Amino acid sequence: MQKPIYSSAFMRRLLRNHGACCGLIVLICVSGAALFAPLVYPGDPLRIVAMAEVWPGYDARYPLGTDALGRDIAAMIMHGARASLGIGVFAALTATLIGVTTGAVAAYFGGWVDEVVMRGVELFQTIPALIFLLTIVSILGPTLLNITLAIGFVSWNGLARLTRAEFLSLRERDFVAACHTIGMGNLRIIVNEILPNALPPVIVLSSLTIAGAILYESALSFLGLGDPNVASWGRLIGEGRAVIRTSWFVSAIPGIAVMMTVLSLNLVGDGLNDALNPKLRDR
Amino acid sequence: MKLLSVKDLQVSFASRHGVVHAVRDISLDIEPGEKVGLVGESGCGKSTLGRALMRIAPITRGNVVLDGTDITSLNAYQLRPIRPKMQMVFQDPYSSINPRHTVGKTIGQPLEMAGWNSGQIKKRVFELLEQVGLPSSAALRYPHEFSGGQRQRIGIARALILKPKLLICDEPVSALDVSVRAQIINLLDDLKQELGVAYLFISHDLSVVHHFADRVLVMYLGRLVESGTTETLWRNSAHPYTRALLSATPVPDPRRRHEARREILTGELPNPLTPPAGCAFGSRCKYVQERCRREPPALRSLQHGHHVACHFDLFNQNNAA
Repeated sequence: MQKPIYSSAFMRRLLRNHGACCGLIVLICVSGAALFAPLVYPGDPLRIVAMAEVWPGYDARYPLGTDALGRDIAAMIMHGARASLGIGVFAALTATLIGVTTGAVAAYFGGWVDEVVMRGVELFQTIPALIFLLTIVSILGPTLLNITLAIGFVSWNGLARLTRAEFLSLRERDFVAACHTIGMGNLRIIVNEILPNALPPVIVLSSLTIAGAILYESALSFLGLGDPNVASWGRLIGEGRAVIRTSWFVSAIPGIAVMMTVLSLNLVGDGLNDALNPKLRDR
Repeated sequence: MKLLSVKDLQVSFASRHGVVHAVRDISLDIEPGEKVGLVGESGCGKSTLGRALMRIAPITRGNVVLDGTDITSLNAYQLRPIRPKMQMVFQDPYSSINPRHTVGKTIGQPLEMAGWNSGQIKKRVFELLEQVGLPSSAALRYPHEFSGGQRQRIGIARALILKPKLLICDEPVSALDVSVRAQIINLLDDLKQELGVAYLFISHDLSVVHHFADRVLVMYLGRLVESGTTETLWRNSAHPYTRALLSATPVPDPRRRHEARREILTGELPNPLTPPAGCAFGSRCKYVQERCRREPPALRSLQHGHHVACHFDLFNQNNAA
């Protein structure tokens, strides 16, 4: 979204932020794990490969040990990065798409459109997201696609409100009036003129939404409502519960993975916020 | 034929506290190639009038005829072929240009909307950049690299690219440094010579209007209170409000400063939600009489092309004195 002339300065500002830097490194590692999982651990990560509850560091073939069924934790973590990150990113994209569209339409057209749309948003806000999510997934069935869409569907509220706020101030700018004076259509004004200006804070919130989505997915899997064919981090934590007294590492390792990823996303989100928000620049 | 003819125009907005009539019963004509100034203090409805003429503020009554076409009730689609005849230069050169587009894209956008192909647009954009005094390299740069004055040139180029017959300038220099103002005014003047475009020049800066306009309209609380040629108004203003405005203009010569009699207006512009009965200016006028509070004065003709909305004859008193 950033114009090329901004981008070098933008990257410099982002990388000057140590937190964002660390976050970015962790995220690159996690993405690398997700990308190369099928190369490093080909085949199904959920198959039983060794004795149960091998401790990390005990056997070089299983650096992170094995779980209660004798499955390789390292393989499941790498493949789990794929599932968790993928679900997180696509759920956040879904949420951004819904949120930006509703927020933009509400603010741009105003009047009764705004009233109706925002009452709808408030209705969604009153429903506890996790309960709503459990309901959708248990009705539609726990497939990867359903889970992703459902998480997106319960996370778009904040994005809609933020987009609306941005649009409310931007639509009053004279450059929008100038577009009206040359007869530009509403759709084009929304998409080509106002949206690029409204995006920076939306991008920040979207990156934080990925973190939220990963947590939702973990919660779902932990409760046993995840996709049974996918090794996701939440599921590992949930399954590790049974052996938590004897082999706590089975739950702890995926737990640390979730924590590090979510923390990194938050750090990068904050970094993006500082780098994209001109009022905070160079403080 | 008149280029622009406005009859009894009214612009109203619904607010939480009731309906505000920002523009009331304004009639005006602009001839082709004429430079008309529109003055009045902040909040009197000058900008709203300009925006209503551009059809970006809601017209509740009256009609606007541009170059023989009544544009009052045309919808967005029907307005498209009319738009090129009338364009606008905005007050704030920072908010009027999309920061995400290159300058070339901003200037060429009206042509894009009119369906020109990109090669023709490029050529015309370079022509316009030269005409407004910007280097052709500006086309590929972004607005934040330019100063306020340069940005206003970009805004003027965008407004002129469709070769409009009427340019509505909404306080085009009031956001600029004084040193840059003269440049922009001269640019507008030169462009008039070159292109024969007519101007409606909205401003609260009387010295600028005096320099620029052939004819001046004075607005107060949504109404026209006086109109006439610039010379007539500066020499023989007939409305107490115009007089007060004129006497508030600083005199550049310090030796003559004390000669000017200041008429200082007291009070504020009345709340447009609850305008005073009778003459709108009655609450601040030093000549106010009983009659002013009862009946609103109509705009009447004093002499050829000089109109005033006042019950009394300041004009004749002035001449007698």
